[in-house]
Amino acid sequence: MRHNITISQHPQNAAGGFAPCTPLFCVLLLIITLGCGTAFAHGVGYRQSDKKAVPLEFYYSTGEMMAYEEARVFSPLDEKNAYLSGRTDEFGRYSFIPSAEGEWRVIVKDREGHMAEAEVQITGEFLSGGASGVGESTVAQSPLPQGGELFLRAAFGVSILLNISAAALLVRRSGRRPKEVPANAHK
Amino acid sequence: MHISEGFLSPPLLTAGWAMAGVGLAWGLKKMEPDKIVRVAIASSAFFLASLVNVRIPPGSAHLSLIAPMGLLLGRSAFPAVFTALLLQAVLFQFGGLMVLGVNSVSMGAPALCVYLLFGRAVRSANAKTAAAAAFAAGVTGVLLGIAIVSAWLVLWDRNMLLSAETLFAAHLPVAVVEGIITLCTVSFLRKSFPDVLDGLNVERA
Repeated sequence: MRHNITISQHPQNAAGGFAPCTPLFCVLLLIITLGCGTAFAHGVGYRQSDKKAVPLEFYYSTGEMMAYEEARVFSPLDEKNAYLSGRTDEFGRYSFIPSAEGEWRVIVKDREGHMAEAEVQITGEFLSGGASGVGESTVAQSPLPQGGELFLRAAFGVSILLNISAAALLVRRSGRRPKEVPANAHK
Repeated sequence: MHISEGFLSPPLLTAGWAMAGVGLAWGLKKMEPDKIVRVAIASSAFFLASLVNVRIPPGSAHLSLIAPMGLLLGRSAFPAVFTALLLQAVLFQFGGLMVLGVNSVSMGAPALCVYLLFGRAVRSANAKTAAAAAFAAGVTGVLLGIAIVSAWLVLWDRNMLLSAETLFAAHLPVAVVEGIITLCTVSFLRKSFPDVLDGLNVERA
């Protein structure tokens, strides 16, 4: 009975596993405490960066902006792992600060599978803060043609479809037409 | 609803082309000559519908006319969708040539499903039943299309599963709009050109 009371007060002694570890536990606790003290000593701050950023806008071929979509930046030094990732803003804008010369790629993908890819040529002059230095940027998705060109392309597409059907009809009907019997065949 | 070029992995693109090939072969098999003109007209409407954008903040979506295609063309809807998507890819850079098989499956398969599910009901003698079936067909066509597009994306990247709900929510208004368009189309055809809908009977026989 008394033995049972002892168990309820110090279960770890009954298990026989914790008691030998008490010094080790204290050492660990001391290390963690000291570590926390060091962490609390770190402060945070901010300052305005003097580095130049590359701002880009991403849009659909319909002219709609690619708002709040996933964006990834690939450095010319590592084309497989993203240098930076995030999301475009409400107006389809995304910017990054390049750290090396060369061709940088920015890929923006939406939830439906649309993808726009921008290639930006960064020069040493740009990195050193010069007025110019960003090469021509190209966006993979071309905008939807507007006005007369849109109408022409749409009409061209419909015309192709109707012509295909006309050709298919002609081919089918010519294939089904019975062979003409020569007039003198009965003679 | 188009999946862009360079997005899916080669095995998925291959699977898409294989499925599209089966759908095309099945759709072209025994296509009646008098149906070819109907296929061309429906394909033209599908081709042009993608240029009509429906604004849904923060994005937008375009009409697809999947359900009218399925109800009017039956199994011939697949070749019609394929041809229209090919022209969209070439003329407007919607989707792409490599991903054409995947996109054809994403929009052709729902059209076939709509035809199989609602083809009989829209020819019902009861006008109300036909109208309800037409509306349901329009909604179902869009939602099935989104489900298939989501499935392709999830097969490519499982993280895209999180976006599936957003995709569905964004296309619910489009589904309703397509339901109304399908309802109007079927009602008009029942009154003015009943032979067009009756053509489905000929195909099933």
